[in-house]
Amino acid sequence: MVNRRTVLKIGATTLTGALVNLPVLSRKAASARTHSAFQRAVFDDRFAECQAFATELESPGALTSAIRGDVAKLWYEDLRVHLSKKRTPVAGLTDRPGLFCLEELARDVGMRVIFRADHITEQNGCTQHAAVGLPSLVAVARKLAPEPGFGRQMARLFSQFDGGGLNIGEPRDAAAQKLTGPFSPENKTTLVSWVIA
Amino acid sequence: MVLPPNVSQADFNAALNEFRSAVEPSWVFSSDEDVALYRDSYSINWGEPDERVASAAVAPAKVEEVQQIVRTANRYRIPLYPISTGRNLTYGGSAPNMRGSVVVDLKRMNRVLEVDEKRAFALVEPGVSYFDLYHYIRERNLKVMLDVPDPGWGSPMGNSLDHGAGYTMAAFRDHFGAHCGMEVVTPDGELIRTGMGAVPNADSWQDFHYGAGPNVDGLFAQSNFGIVTKMGFWLMPMPEAFLTGTVTAPRHQDLEALVYEVSYLEDLGLTGMPQYGSPVGRGAFGPGAAAMASLMQNGWPSAEAIENFVTAQKRPAWSVQLYFYGPEETVRATWQAAKRRIGKAIAGATFQDGEFMTLPIPKENEPTQSDKPRLGIPALEVFNMVARNQGNANDPSDGHADLFVTIPRKASALFEAARVLYETYKELGMPAQGNPFPTPFTYYSRCFWTGTTVPTWRDPEKNARSRAIFEKVINRCAEHGWVGYRTSPAFQDLLISKYSFNNHALLRFQEKLKDSIDPNGIISPGRYGIWPASMRKNRA
Repeated sequence: MVNRRTVLKIGATTLTGALVNLPVLSRKAASARTHSAFQRAVFDDRFAECQAFATELESPGALTSAIRGDVAKLWYEDLRVHLSKKRTPVAGLTDRPGLFCLEELARDVGMRVIFRADHITEQNGCTQHAAVGLPSLVAVARKLAPEPGFGRQMARLFSQFDGGGLNIGEPRDAAAQKLTGPFSPENKTTLVSWVIA
Repeated sequence: MVLPPNVSQADFNAALNEFRSAVEPSWVFSSDEDVALYRDSYSINWGEPDERVASAAVAPAKVEEVQQIVRTANRYRIPLYPISTGRNLTYGGSAPNMRGSVVVDLKRMNRVLEVDEKRAFALVEPGVSYFDLYHYIRERNLKVMLDVPDPGWGSPMGNSLDHGAGYTMAAFRDHFGAHCGMEVVTPDGELIRTGMGAVPNADSWQDFHYGAGPNVDGLFAQSNFGIVTKMGFWLMPMPEAFLTGTVTAPRHQDLEALVYEVSYLEDLGLTGMPQYGSPVGRGAFGPGAAAMASLMQNGWPSAEAIENFVTAQKRPAWSVQLYFYGPEETVRATWQAAKRRIGKAIAGATFQDGEFMTLPIPKENEPTQSDKPRLGIPALEVFNMVARNQGNANDPSDGHADLFVTIPRKASALFEAARVLYETYKELGMPAQGNPFPTPFTYYSRCFWTGTTVPTWRDPEKNARSRAIFEKVINRCAEHGWVGYRTSPAFQDLLISKYSFNNHALLRFQEKLKDSIDPNGIISPGRYGIWPASMRKNRA
């Protein structure tokens, strides 16, 4: 389980160090003053980790959008309109089909995946985490514990990410793009946390 | 960065600068990260030296900009590859046919120009997706119905120009067949309109597709003779009702009669796309898997063994789901007629009434429809349906490449193709695939399709195996006269080589056209085997 001490040891450079020492209530209040890079987030309502992700991200004021596996309505009736007017980074925790579809669709507005962490949970409940993309996020994501709770941890990571150096449309390493297709192992639960910018 | 073949860096840079002048700099993409967006997510050559990746991309907003791009491309011999939405996954997606081409991304040309409810047609630009057109129609409460592919995130133009198909009535699910009129930028930058569109003051461009003289529309599908910038489509008038019914036929030998009766109904325009199934032959993962394995343990079984198997399973050999569109009186009467005819033709056939609904469906009911494509509703649910399955138990692939071959619309052809595919997989040392209860794809109403799909990966070694399987299947099917109707760029040369009548006379004719229309070979070199003269392989 990632706790405040673990986060301090990791020392991720874009995390605001003072935040992690605060009790939960104060963290919410403090978060309201923190500028998070993410005003929009997507989560798959079918999975508990995703629900926890959304709950955690709502505190700092991100607008979270639920899908139940199908991104069509969200994209065509909401996100595409929103991002066509102003491209802002979007965070999410979904399954692979959800990210696969959003990644393909995001090209329409000139956006792409710049970070992803695949969280593959075995039938015994242990989760392996594999991350690629923005170094500051990767550094934390790769060290997530195998126990449940990564949804909330990823949300905290995103909510504390101030977007330092994140400029929409600025060329960067394409390593996180099209890493996999939509398929995932049948006997495991595969979720992906991601940033599209 | 990848350069177009035989183009210097200096010329490429000069071309990019001219593209920037034509469309504004922000719509020319040349960074590695931007160009990576156009990689084929299902590529069977991922990460390999011959992966078909773009050198750059340019997104024009209007026809005049497309013309400027084409003229620039001619000046510097830059190969172009136009895409509309670029989501034709398994057939190349947004990646070009030839490595190093500049993708012309037509997404900004996304206007629905007209939908005429009474004459039942639409005129659209390339960047209009099925979702866009659907929302346009619903927002205006227009009484027309789309025919959509599944998934529905592609465009009517892109899908039809690759001979894609859908799920409703025959006249509309052949998407190219349902088109009426085009506007095309030719390889020299000229602008033409086909059919009645060539008459400047005609208001019938989407009413009559031939015009007079040779109809050239077919030249722009699955080819490289121009960039289509507008396209008309005939739409189905919104039916008043929708009805389904399921038929079963007990014996293996009944398929012939079942196909005849169902085809009769479809050829008369009385039913939509039939969905064939086999209650006893549901494959390796169904309830009868063990019994099926036993039937197949010594290879392809005899006719007697097959019928004995069916008898022992106590389930029908075949089923077909029929779909009826029209006024309620008509759909109910047609279903009754279908029952009468099939009941007379096939002893022991059973019939089950299915769903009835009035159309259009209220918008709030759309999400709960289980078969959206048959109701003309675009969807992306298919990705969730196939994302986790027993075929992906431990080592999920990253995509797939599909081969559907055309076979005659008769049971004997279907059985023969199933047996040949079964034996081909056996020769390849693959797990047994197929059994004597194949069900055809009926996207095009006058033929059957059958075929195979191979996984694609981010792993070159696995992709090499997949390519070998795919090529073997293409070759083996071609020996029997069964050849695919489309395929991904990696296999287009091989596929087209099978259309070899009279020493490949058809391809030689197409090449003459190519040399005349596009002497610099700038539009989609190599698409469906049509290479410019300068890139053409020597043939005997």
